[in-house]
Amino acid sequence: MTVDTKEPAGPAAESQEYVDVTERPTVTAKWVRRLAVASIAVAVGLPMLSLVVWSFAFRWNFPNLLPSEWGTQAWAYVADDSSRVVEGLWNSTKVAVLVTLLAIIVGLPASRALGQHEFKGKSAVEWVLMMPIIVPALVATMGIHQIFIRLRLTETLFGVALVHLIPAIPYFVLVMASVFANYGTALEETARTLGANKFRVFRYVTFPAISSGLLVASMFTFLISWGQYVTTLLIGGGTFVTLPLVLFPFLSGANHATAAAISLVFVAPAIIVLVFTSRQLGRESSVMGGFGRI
Amino acid sequence: MTAVALSHLSKRFGNHLAVRDLNLEIESGEMVAFLGPSGCGKTTTLRMITGLIQPTSGDVLFDGESVVGIPTERRGAVMVFQKHLLFPTMNVAQNVGFGLKMAGVDKAETARRVTEMLELVELPDLESRKAHELSGGQQQRVALARALVVRPQVLLLDEPLANLDANLRITMRQLIRSIQHEMGITAIFVTHDQEEAVMLADRVALMFDGVVQQVGEPDTFYRRPSTTRVAQFFRNSNFLHGVRSGNVVSTPVGDIEVDPVQVADGSGDVILSVRPEEVKPVLAGSDAANTVPATVESVIYMGTHTQVVAKIGNSVWNVQTAAAFNPREGEEVLFELPKEHVWIVKDDSNSQPDAVKAS
Amino acid sequence: MARTTELTDLAERESLRSRLKIPLMLAPAVGIVVLLFGGGILVGLGQSLGYFPAIGLNEFTFEYYGSVLTDSNFLRSLWLTFRIAATATVLSSVLAVGFALVLRQKFAGSRLATFLFQIPLPVPHLVAASGIILLVTQSGLTARLAYALGIIDVPGDFPAMVFDEAGIAIILTFLWKEVPFVGLVVLAVLQSVGPQYEEQARTLGANGRQRFFNVLLPLIMPGIMSTSIIIFAFTFANYEIPLLLGTRFPSTLPVVAYRLYQDPDLALRPEAMAISIVLAIVALLLLIAYRRLARYAVR
Repeated sequence: MTVDTKEPAGPAAESQEYVDVTERPTVTAKWVRRLAVASIAVAVGLPMLSLVVWSFAFRWNFPNLLPSEWGTQAWAYVADDSSRVVEGLWNSTKVAVLVTLLAIIVGLPASRALGQHEFKGKSAVEWVLMMPIIVPALVATMGIHQIFIRLRLTETLFGVALVHLIPAIPYFVLVMASVFANYGTALEETARTLGANKFRVFRYVTFPAISSGLLVASMFTFLISWGQYVTTLLIGGGTFVTLPLVLFPFLSGANHATAAAISLVFVAPAIIVLVFTSRQLGRESSVMGGFGRI
Repeated sequence: MTAVALSHLSKRFGNHLAVRDLNLEIESGEMVAFLGPSGCGKTTTLRMITGLIQPTSGDVLFDGESVVGIPTERRGAVMVFQKHLLFPTMNVAQNVGFGLKMAGVDKAETARRVTEMLELVELPDLESRKAHELSGGQQQRVALARALVVRPQVLLLDEPLANLDANLRITMRQLIRSIQHEMGITAIFVTHDQEEAVMLADRVALMFDGVVQQVGEPDTFYRRPSTTRVAQFFRNSNFLHGVRSGNVVSTPVGDIEVDPVQVADGSGDVILSVRPEEVKPVLAGSDAANTVPATVESVIYMGTHTQVVAKIGNSVWNVQTAAAFNPREGEEVLFELPKEHVWIVKDDSNSQPDAVKAS
Repeated sequence: MARTTELTDLAERESLRSRLKIPLMLAPAVGIVVLLFGGGILVGLGQSLGYFPAIGLNEFTFEYYGSVLTDSNFLRSLWLTFRIAATATVLSSVLAVGFALVLRQKFAGSRLATFLFQIPLPVPHLVAASGIILLVTQSGLTARLAYALGIIDVPGDFPAMVFDEAGIAIILTFLWKEVPFVGLVVLAVLQSVGPQYEEQARTLGANGRQRFFNVLLPLIMPGIMSTSIIIFAFTFANYEIPLLLGTRFPSTLPVVAYRLYQDPDLALRPEAMAISIVLAIVALLLLIAYRRLARYAVR
């Protein structure tokens, strides 16, 4: 039930009977609710806000609660080529887009098979596909590193994208299988009986039905690649630089302002993604529900 | 003794008044049906009795004591929902024993009462099954057993048979009726099916638009409908306008004598109603009283009887006659409206015309 | 006659196509995972067992496992890794259920609160660490607030949460990221279940606590189990967060393994592989045990 579509309250509003707006929570429940909301706001807001303030700080020593001198030197550094932030941003974007496209191409048929069909060995396939999520991938990454050296795939965009696919495919399939399962096959069969060919069924029936789930799954996949550190470090060999690799040294250093500015560049796409998918996450339970069905 | 009393009960959702000023007393051991089309407020009323929602105004009393401030779990008003709602993580015995476990009844006693109750609903030896391994009818019986085992103060049934197929529904009706009698439980159930209400209930409360239209024993809805909408809900739309003076109502098709035992008193414009099965075809020239001329519009042979649609004055009547009666379409016939079956109803057809949707 | 054969052919081709349909749909995804992930593990397994022709090792041996498993530093690292991952997993699950129970209610601002709650979900772990660092170091914002309130006088008075053996900042970073993840999954489950079972339990006499433990928890348990398996596996194997926020010694196992792997001395690689394999096996065993236990507990 959506809140913002206002249905006229009429005699036929049987479903509304269950949403009782006049119901008053107990005093304890109210305080628990306030405490929870306040802690969400503080826990989420404070680190994010600190990053913003720090990125504009020139001098901010203990115990000042605000910077004593403000400045944009951190942002100037970010924009400068020597910092490799722009290069990292560009590389991160290329890899993440490539990984997302590859995950869609190989993952869509697989998630459809798992979501809509029953077949022998299904649970074995599910196990295999979930392995990279369940088994720590470090050993696999190290092994792949040595294979890729021979295949001359290290220090390349494609090589990095391939290792990112290892965690990306399972998550993509997990979410999309759940979306497919939720949507079922009845609609498509109806369309077939109405004379639509396979392509048209996909174009006019299947795709519109799964598109919002696909959007969320793709953005998840994008972000999985976006956030990868150790796999990129190993396969990229330090010459193929993505944003997390640029950021990392600053995090252990004393230059908080620059670390904060790069962090903000790094987190920007994530926040944009969330604005687009927030409603799906909250509403379409099949998307998040997918993670609950391992 | 009054087990449950609803006093001036009202419920408002936003600006929609779901239930208004409902008053009803239910005797101990009685089975009352709230009957009405969907959205009429019957389920809302049931939920107010359980305490799952709070009334906007008015009072709910169990054994004379107000329960409005008492939370649902301490009221002893147990609900059986339309969907069986067996807990999917528990087996049949755990489901049935749920209420006893909540009340802290010891395990041996719980097991004994669960077995006893499963026998009563004719489901012995299914204790260890999971809910999804049962058929729809079995699931609903387990739900019934789960409610009954705690010996509820009042048993509430929200369309408990709506999800079952026709045959199963009939068996379940009989089962519910016999168990309710046997245990002497006070029960309230909600249904949109007038046949079900009539078969199961001691008394029926018919609701439209949040308002109780008429309360009474099932047959009064057939013989003594209070308004045109009530009559229509019970599949009687035979109405004839007239002017009453004393015991005679003069209509465009002649004077009709009515029984003096009418609720509606006085004189003036009235509406007469006669149930389809009480209208009798008579031969021309018969000396029967209260006859009206009619033009046959259609005749449908139904096997056990014949369904005749005929025009009487300006009104279209449905008449159910003996199978042998077989007039031609367009034929002029004479119908007798027996005095004891002619009933004056109040006209409320304009108050909510679209609300009469007897499904 | 010819026509019949044709038809049979057609039917056969059709059945072959339908039989191959599912395998073909699965092949690309399964193929990539098996080749890359499986291949990588095989190479690692081989080296950990002494097969490393590049540096002239061809003998099959358990010696690297032996030296790893008897090393007290290894066991110390293993314990640290386990403690951090387990703490993060358990705390995430408990907190997430609490928040989900609040956020499923409709109240003024509930949509905004849910949006805020979702924010950490897409944020990269390193950015989360970046924000946590600014908050919890001894000269961080929290310490400054403590100073302003007169609780501490110098940064040193503030408890060390970064580079500490307890790994508080590591756990906080993981919590910041994973609580919303588990919470949103639980929220999705709660929304699909609806209030109906609780209402049913209520009319049967179950109070709030009884409804939570007897009705709600069993219903959301599968979701909690799945997500906590994902989180445990992730935190147990994470490299960059403990490297950034943890002690130098002992380090968590992934940090130790990676350090050995990147050592210019290639002879240390089999040991690095052995540690990684042990890490993977321990994770798998723990997860299987946990699943069993959780299923038993639910029953």
